[in-house]
Amino acid sequence: MTAAVEEPVEPVEVAVPERPRTFRRGKGLVGLVLVGVVVLLGLVGPLLWQWDAYQQIPGANLLGPSATHPLGTDDLNRDVLARLLAGIRVDLLISLTAVPLGALIGCAIGALATVNSVLDVAVQRLFDVLLAFPQLILAIGLAAVIGPGTGSVLIVVVSVEIPVFGRLLRAAVLRVRESQYVTAAEVVGGRRAHILRQHVLPNSLEPVLVQLALSMSVAVFVEGAMSVLGIGVTPPSPSLGAVLTTSLRYLDLNPLFAIGPLAVTAVLVLGFQLIAQAANAARGA
Amino acid sequence: MTRYVLRRAPSALVVLWLSSVLIFLVLRAIPGDAATAMAGPDATPETIAAIRHDLGLDLPVVTQYLHWLGGLFTGDLGRSYLIGGDIADLVGTGLGNTVVLTATALLIAVLIALGLGPLWAATRNRWVDRVLTAFHTAAVALPTFVTGVVLIIVFGVFFRVLPTGGIPPKGMVDRLDITAQYLVLPAVCLALPVAGVLTGFLAETLRGELRQDYVTTVLAAGVRRRAVVYRHALRGALPVAITTLGLQTGALLGGAVLVESIFSWPGLGLLVEQGITRRDYPLVQVLLMLSVTVFVLVQLLTDVIHAALDPRIRLGAQS
Repeated sequence: MTAAVEEPVEPVEVAVPERPRTFRRGKGLVGLVLVGVVVLLGLVGPLLWQWDAYQQIPGANLLGPSATHPLGTDDLNRDVLARLLAGIRVDLLISLTAVPLGALIGCAIGALATVNSVLDVAVQRLFDVLLAFPQLILAIGLAAVIGPGTGSVLIVVVSVEIPVFGRLLRAAVLRVRESQYVTAAEVVGGRRAHILRQHVLPNSLEPVLVQLALSMSVAVFVEGAMSVLGIGVTPPSPSLGAVLTTSLRYLDLNPLFAIGPLAVTAVLVLGFQLIAQAANAARGA
Repeated sequence: MTRYVLRRAPSALVVLWLSSVLIFLVLRAIPGDAATAMAGPDATPETIAAIRHDLGLDLPVVTQYLHWLGGLFTGDLGRSYLIGGDIADLVGTGLGNTVVLTATALLIAVLIALGLGPLWAATRNRWVDRVLTAFHTAAVALPTFVTGVVLIIVFGVFFRVLPTGGIPPKGMVDRLDITAQYLVLPAVCLALPVAGVLTGFLAETLRGELRQDYVTTVLAAGVRRRAVVYRHALRGALPVAITTLGLQTGALLGGAVLVESIFSWPGLGLLVEQGITRRDYPLVQVLLMLSVTVFVLVQLLTDVIHAALDPRIRLGAQS
């Protein structure tokens, strides 16, 4: 009987799933709270507030702040707070539908590009061209074609996000594919589709999640910017950008008019940004 | 170096060409057609036909495209229907104002970044670090239209120390002090996001640079920390800073449109906004192409400068 010589085994690093602490303190927590407050305002606010966003109140033209109208009334006798609360909903709707949709399409195209090299070149060029248009310039070009409106804002956000997520996922897949555990799975004889689904895709999604938070803030930015340029959500629909744009005409008369949309936009955008920063830091750690 | 440029340039040209096709086709895809949209709801068929002929829309699409492309090179861009005047003249005037605005903003951004970036990287004071972190997050995240309106409210409405929009009245354009008053708010507004991003990248790169062995050596030799940051580490961080700046061109172009709109600064951004709201498609087409061209060329320039500063890129990419 020959005793088998025990080969020293090199320790293998195993990723131990850690409970996510990122959002329990610091930037992550602050970000979640900021976004949470705005979401809550948007969900509950319009139900509780006495005025309706479209209701024209007789005799209440461009009033200053008061107990009945804390943010005043606008040029069409509507309560600014009511419009602001309803506007939050529109912005959240745009962020929460257009960004995931753009991400989904972008990721699908990006993943597809990694399969075939001819396809890859074609997709890369397509993304180059799309990214050659700065966000707002793309918005302007598209709005020129399809006209202003909530639909345009949605389409612009989706088109802006497709190349962003496409490139991100493509790069991540290419990187993950080179990693040891994928090689190991290949050596063991795992089928290509199985490896892609079980190993490559889940591990490529991390940067995508960070980008999702960032892109939410981009969506709020695009909505506001398009409203300021007169190609956003069409009146009488309220949105953060629409309320802000109306207030710009009356800054001299009532500067507080603008404070509401400014504050909510800032809080929302900062919140998303902080969440993205925290998630990114957690990834690196 | 020349070889690097020659290798990098074709892909930029391809992107530009594809963009031109895209811009051209997309504005042909307007429901109805451009002439109907431009003529307005109560135009007679004759008017529409006249506009269509004037715009060359009755010609074959390929001819239209080649004609338009030729115009881009020769400067024969046609007339702006709704604003009046030659498109080339309009674009020329607007371009001048936009260049003044963006150049000032860029200068402000670079100065802020050069001041705060090294400070942030080298500081050991917790409060300085916190303040700079807050500045960075706010500057990067806050949309231009938010900071712009806040600037207007604070300096134009409450304190009334600065004009809130427009350019100096005629006859005062030559007075530098007055022009500066009109320029400062929009330029600062446009500069802030770029300054934030640039400060962040600069600080991060400098921190990495400060961990290098050569820095330890220089510090051990008795050179003061500040001198090390500015004289040694900053040089190593320069290529990254320039690339970052190049990548910010898009934000700067889009930002300029917004800032010009908010502050009524009569540049290309205001022109493009007017073009869109009045459905002046020939004008919009030219402006879109111009902005894409600037964007792509600046990216190319950035890569070339980066390669010139960092031999690893120009040689590494060769093999």
